[in-house]
Formats: sequence, C-alpha cells, structure tokens
Amino acid sequence: MIKAESLCRQYGNQFAVQNLSFEVKRGEVMGLLGPNGAGKSTTMKMLTCFLPPSSGDALIDGLSLSQSIEVRRLVGYLPEHAPSYHDLDVEAYLQFTGKMHGLSQATRQDKIAEMSRTCGLEQVMFRRIEELSKGYRQRVGLAASMLHDPQCLILDEPTTGLDPNQIIEIRHLIRHLGEHKTVLLSSHILPEVEAVCDRMMIIDKGELQAYGTSAELSKQAQAGARLHTKIQGESSKVLARLKAELPELEVIAESTLEGGLLQCELYHPDVSCVLAEKLFHAAVAETSVLLEIRQEQASLEDVFRELTGGKS
Amino acid sequence: MSVMIALCQKEWRISLDTPQGYVVSIAFLLVSGFFFGSSLFLNGQADMRHWFSILPLLFIFFIPAMSMRLLADELHDGTYELLATMPTRTIDIVLGKYLSLLGHITFLLVLTLTYPLTLSLLGDLDMGLVMAAYLAAWLLAAMFAAACLYASSLTSHAMIAYIVGLMLLLAMFLLTQLAPTLSVYLQDMIALFGPINHYHNMLRGVVSLADVMLFIALIAMFLSLSWFELERRRWR
Repeated sequence: MIKAESLCRQYGNQFAVQNLSFEVKRGEVMGLLGPNGAGKSTTMKMLTCFLPPSSGDALIDGLSLSQSIEVRRLVGYLPEHAPSYHDLDVEAYLQFTGKMHGLSQATRQDKIAEMSRTCGLEQVMFRRIEELSKGYRQRVGLAASMLHDPQCLILDEPTTGLDPNQIIEIRHLIRHLGEHKTVLLSSHILPEVEAVCDRMMIIDKGELQAYGTSAELSKQAQAGARLHTKIQGESSKVLARLKAELPELEVIAESTLEGGLLQCELYHPDVSCVLAEKLFHAAVAETSVLLEIRQEQASLEDVFRELTGGKS
Repeated sequence: MSVMIALCQKEWRISLDTPQGYVVSIAFLLVSGFFFGSSLFLNGQADMRHWFSILPLLFIFFIPAMSMRLLADELHDGTYELLATMPTRTIDIVLGKYLSLLGHITFLLVLTLTYPLTLSLLGDLDMGLVMAAYLAAWLLAAMFAAACLYASSLTSHAMIAYIVGLMLLLAMFLLTQLAPTLSVYLQDMIALFGPINHYHNMLRGVVSLADVMLFIALIAMFLSLSWFELERRRWR
C-alpha cells in the first residue's frame, strides 16, 4: 500500500531523512519509532505530499507522490498536535473538511454521523473546538482525517499530551481502524507501538535502523543467550558441570537466597547453544532441582536504545 | 471552485462566530461615518468627494486588520498543514482566502451606499460620478486586499502581517504624495503605476481601461506572490 523508495529530504545542507525505503502492506498497522528529531514527522509530511522529497519517491497504492492530488485523496493525515480551527464548532469543522474533499452533501452528512459515532464525538458536536479537552481534539482530528474514507491513515504522534485513559481510548480506536485500513503511526512511546502495531520500524538521524515485528526486533538486538534461574541443591556442582560443557558460559549475577537457594543469571554468546536444555540436564545429573528457569528477552526498549545510541 | 467556496464559507463562519470580524467592521463603519458626516455638516456640501479622498487612508488602516490572520494564523496554528494535504491546489487556497476577504470588504462598501442614498434625498447628487467612484474604491480595496494577503503569507504572526501590510499600503500612498518632490521621470513612472493616482483619475468620473487594467494586474501580481510564498515554504 505504501512503498517508499530511497526517500531523502534535505533542509539546507542537513539531511532530515536519508535513503529511507520501507513497505507497509495493505491492512497493516505500522509503527514509526525514533527519538525526537529522527525524521519521523518529515517522513510523514513527505508521504502526505506536504513536503516534496529532495530525491527518491514513494508509491501509495501504486501512485507516485508527484501525482499529489490523487495521493491526497487516498491518504488521511493527522499532523502532530492535531491542529484544527479552534473558533469553529466540531460539526462546522467536519463539514468544512468534507467540502474540501469534495463530498456531496448527503455523503457528508452520513460520514459525519458515522465518524462522530466511531470517534465518540456525538456529545460535543456543537461545542467549539477551543472548549474541548486535548483528548477530544485528538478525536476530532482523527474523525476529520477519516471523513473522506481514505484507504491509508498517517498519524503523527496521535497520543502525545493525553492522559493514560485517553491514550488507551485512542489506542483502541486506532486498533479498531486498523482492521479496515492501512495505518502508519509515529511515536516515541514504545509500549504504545508494541500494543498497537503489527510491525514497526526504528529510524534515527533520518536513516532506517531496524524493521520488523516486535519479536523480530528483540531477537535482532539480543547478541547471545541469557537465562535467569533458581537452583536448589548442589548448585555449584551444577554450574561447574554446565561450564565444562559450555566453556564460554558466564555467570553474570549470583546470589544465595534462604534455604541454600542459588539465584543466578547465565550468559552465553551463542544464541543457538540451547542453554536452558543443557542446564536442565546438568541439574538432573547432580540431582538438584530447578525452581525457576526463564529466558531473558531483550525488550523493545533495549532495541531502541541500542539502535538510537541510547538517546531515548 | 467548490474548494474556494468551502474556504470562503469557513472564513465567514469564523468572522461571524468570533468578535474579530465584528470589531473591525464596526470600527470601519464608525470612522467612515464620521468622515462622511463631518464633510456633510461642516461644509454643508451634498457631495462625496471629500469622503472618497479620505477612503484610501481608511483602507490602509483597516484592510491589513481584516486580512492579517488569513494565512498567518493557518501557518501559526499548523492548520495550513491540513489545508495543504487536502486534495486542493495551493492556488485554490490563495483564491479562496482572497475571495473571502473581498467578500468582507464588498459587504462593508455596500453598507456605505447608505451615504449616497441619504445625499440623493437631500440634494442633487451626480449618481454616475458616485458609481464610478465606488467602482474605483472597490478596485483599490481589492488591490489592497491582495497586497495584504501577500503580507499575511510572509509570516506566521498575525501582528507582523498587519504591520507589513500597513507598511506596503502606506508606501504606495506616500509615493503618490511625495511625487511632486521627485524627478520628472519618476513622477511619470508614479503617474503610470501608482494605484492612488489611478484611483484619483477614476474619481473624476472617467472609467478608463488603463485604470481598471492596472488594478487587475496588481491584484494578479500580489496573488501570484502569495502563491509563490506558500509554495516556497514547502521547498525550503
């Protein structure tokens, strides 16, 4: 649905986005992650034809960005901070958006009714946008961006500045929309992307750093196998036996708990060394008991920090 | 076309829903009424020559106030990003904004038609002359509006847009005032291209194609500049 091919955008001599290529499939929710100033907004502005790319191109449903009027019909866009006309009431604002998209009066009425229901705006239809809370304004922005029934939604940080309840509501809304539309959303809040998106990409300094599902990204970031365990019984013998089998094994943290229980964290540089299985066999051989055994996974946060130089 | 109408309606809706539109309109009508009344009662003359000669000055102060927020506010609030990502061309945005402003000014000028109507009841008024003068005033206002819209496209602060617009219009006005002190060549140039000079030509009751064309050319120039300025923002 969205296919970017080496998109570049320069401001003066500085590259805001450099050689960015990615693809978002139809009906997918894709997260665009990156620290502030990484080029997320610039990427979105290019995809919505607000800023022309300095070089490269993107195809939206097969249409090049140079066919900007056609592309804009396919795309619904919610800019950062959800700008809207504060002096208008919600209904007038949605009417205006519908007219700008060339919807006929009947379609407009239907769509406004439908969107106000989807986004929960029925209560505030005749209130001025100025008087609404930030969460409602965000919803108004979302409703306006979907009024012309776009196939593709581009949302720039849709949950910034909202309280936790509002964030959850907007997330639900986006998930619900993602069932029917292609969504590209940017954020620097990791749990949000993890909760909402099917796949994500991480960009930093305008360049693509990683691309995939949350599990794939975690795997990418993890260099080696890490295991957390609690051993009861002959724990030192168990570890000695395991070390004999895996000479590169390291014990990162070790502490003795009540009742002679040893809690430790093991690390081996080779992910495919089946550390957990070998630990189990070693414990059985020494007639010890493993009370806990847990594979440590790199969290999305670790991936993000690693790829963006710990700037998060 | 539907885009321009939608934009016009939105601007008028904002003007009607907020005090900004009313304040400027009422102030304009009060001040213009004062000048009309003063010439009528002080001089005891039932003609509008005095009022029409003052009118450019009123425009110079009031048109920048009517136009200042048109593009500057959109740029400031980020709503321009919404407009520019709707399926519209930049020129449609400029024309829509311009038409809304022109509509506002036309409405105010139509309200001042009560002055010649009052005068025609009191004395013998040359209606042909007054109509030519109204056409001149409308063209001048339309030209000033285009210049002020351009001023509004230059900045994202409405106040700065007002000052820039005011300066632009004052420059045009003062150039005509200063003309007698300049060299003959410059005087000729100002007579040829000065909008105020052409306005005064038309006040005599003669509507020549040259006068009308000058206003239209200047309007086209300022609208093109506004379009260019908005496009330039996307490229820098």
